[in-house]
Amino acid sequence: MEENKNKTEELEETNLSVEDTEEPLDKTVRLMSPTRMVVRRFFRSKLSIVGLIMVVGLFLFSFLGPVVYNQWGEIEVDKSGKYELSGSTVTYTVNGNEYTIRQTTEKSIDDNSLAPPSADHILGTDKQGYDVFVRLMYGGRISLIVSFIAVFLITILGVVMGGLAGYFGGVIDTVIMRICDVLMCLPGIPILLIISTILDSSGIPGQYRIYLLMIYLTFISWPGTARLVRGQILSLREQEYMVAAEAMGYSASRKIFKHLVPNVMPQLIVQMSLSLGSMILYEATLSYLNLGVKAPYAAWGTMINIISQDTDILENYLNVWVPAGVCIVIAVLGFNFIGDGLRDALDPKARR
Amino acid sequence: MLKYILKRIGMSILILLGVSMIIYFLIRLMPVDFIQDKINAINQGGATVSQETQDAMYATYGLGDNSFMGILKGYFGWLGKLCTLDLGISFKYGIPVSEVIFDHMGISFIIALIATVFEFLIAIPLGITAATHQYKFRDYLVTILVMIGISLPAFFFGQVLKELLAYQLGWFEPSGLVDATSSFTGFNLLIDYAKHCFIPILTIVILSIGPRMRMTRANMLEVMNSDYIRTARAKGLKESKVVNKHAFRNTLIPMVTSLAGLLPSLFSGAIITEQVFDLPGIGNMALNAMNAGDIPFIMGYNMFLALLSVIGVLLADLMYGLVDPRVKLE
Repeated sequence: MEENKNKTEELEETNLSVEDTEEPLDKTVRLMSPTRMVVRRFFRSKLSIVGLIMVVGLFLFSFLGPVVYNQWGEIEVDKSGKYELSGSTVTYTVNGNEYTIRQTTEKSIDDNSLAPPSADHILGTDKQGYDVFVRLMYGGRISLIVSFIAVFLITILGVVMGGLAGYFGGVIDTVIMRICDVLMCLPGIPILLIISTILDSSGIPGQYRIYLLMIYLTFISWPGTARLVRGQILSLREQEYMVAAEAMGYSASRKIFKHLVPNVMPQLIVQMSLSLGSMILYEATLSYLNLGVKAPYAAWGTMINIISQDTDILENYLNVWVPAGVCIVIAVLGFNFIGDGLRDALDPKARR
Repeated sequence: MLKYILKRIGMSILILLGVSMIIYFLIRLMPVDFIQDKINAINQGGATVSQETQDAMYATYGLGDNSFMGILKGYFGWLGKLCTLDLGISFKYGIPVSEVIFDHMGISFIIALIATVFEFLIAIPLGITAATHQYKFRDYLVTILVMIGISLPAFFFGQVLKELLAYQLGWFEPSGLVDATSSFTGFNLLIDYAKHCFIPILTIVILSIGPRMRMTRANMLEVMNSDYIRTARAKGLKESKVVNKHAFRNTLIPMVTSLAGLLPSLFSGAIITEQVFDLPGIGNMALNAMNAGDIPFIMGYNMFLALLSVIGVLLADLMYGLVDPRVKLE
């Protein structure tokens, strides 16, 4: 239904109008570059707009947020202190009458930990007395930066390896594809656990180790992209424009990177936006397993990790762990929506 | 056909060799010296371990020599034992690694199998309705719901369900596999299992429905545009018959192929889900072993996972040739 309506809209725009046929054609026909058409189609889908808003919102939240809302730092403990009442009932008998008295002792604690949401702490504080809202922002920074770096590296490595394999074929292709096979069979999380212990002993500071883990993740994730690029190049290589490029005597690198790779871009862009989502999930899982960002630094996964040890927080302090989970879902969902919208927008079959 | 299978099996063995090399050399980089821990423990117990015994212990695991040739020798020694299915004795559990794997993979397999059955039962009809109502409300609704499912992290969603269904409503048990305080038999035991396994299975199903549904939808859309479907409609067949009999049968090919590829991976265990719900599956055992630096178990488990994924790829390819008469395997 909606698609049909879209089709007619586009037709109306590109067709020349019937009334003034005397005017030259190029005056009445509005030409649209392919890029503009893709952008238009992307923004026509409501889901992609929602995805874009989610992602842009998270970016603003985590990168500008700490600048605007700087009451608390990432590792700043609220030292305002609080009083904790602990009570017990004592029963004793005086002159045959039984008295029950509730005895309460007031204990003062230095840290204002596990505070409920208030004006001071929008989402309250966690067990260590850190402000949850502020840590969400810093956790977002880590997640977004790390996943962007990983996806960027995966794409570069994948394009180079896939391009080489697809273009040259023969022995190079066989060797690269066998390496891909081996890497694809490596178990993900178990090996990350091993690497994490190696990193532990090498004395790398807590906030950097996640980057090293993501580099390893790049190392095992590029085969997917490489296969995509290789498959695409194998079919493009046979096309006539490549014969023309051959006849012009272009160098191999020019043919690969100027004539073949740009034609793989649509699929690559979709793949990149979808893998951004999965990298965020991966990062969160690693932090949850205590492999990624270590305390006291914040990451969304680490913020949820606390409930696997402390059922009291799981049941009674939802404000400590639920927001982090919601942030993860928003980020991943946003990238998935964008990827889906891009896939539809870039699909040549739907082009008119 | 036989030649093709043999060639593929040969290639799989090469892949496994590559994986084993990477795993072994990674492990050699690991600083956790479990043998030293063990010796310390014995020392604390009052007995003293002589240097010879220590060396012998290192030698048993091929870890004594850290020169290049020593590592190489250790690797081939380990590989040789691997070929006879001797994975060594787990430090943490004190019994042979293969025994631990075989004892606990059953639980993981059953949970994963039930989840997969439900996943297919729900995802396929959803995919079909989404495809037959393309770009309509129903399609968007299903797509959005499924996308949310894909985007949920297992450790978060599992905890939310646990909090909601177990702690708040009290309908199901939050963790473990059986009730430790009471001993059930027969039918009651089954109910108890169901009560414990419901939330983990629900978590897995909701998280994994997405890709399957999207695959069904894409395949259905492709098939629905083909000529023979137009012919079937032109003959005046009922739409339900066209969809459920003519179109759906063709989407079964990728479905069966992916099911064959999935089958081995059901044994591998879901580390995160099992950890969240404290199920005694292979994934949870592996996580505990790895946190304790149990080198034989880590190596054995990683090789087990690699083997499963190699078998999965092999099965999927063979199945593809088997169910699709248009494909000739060479």
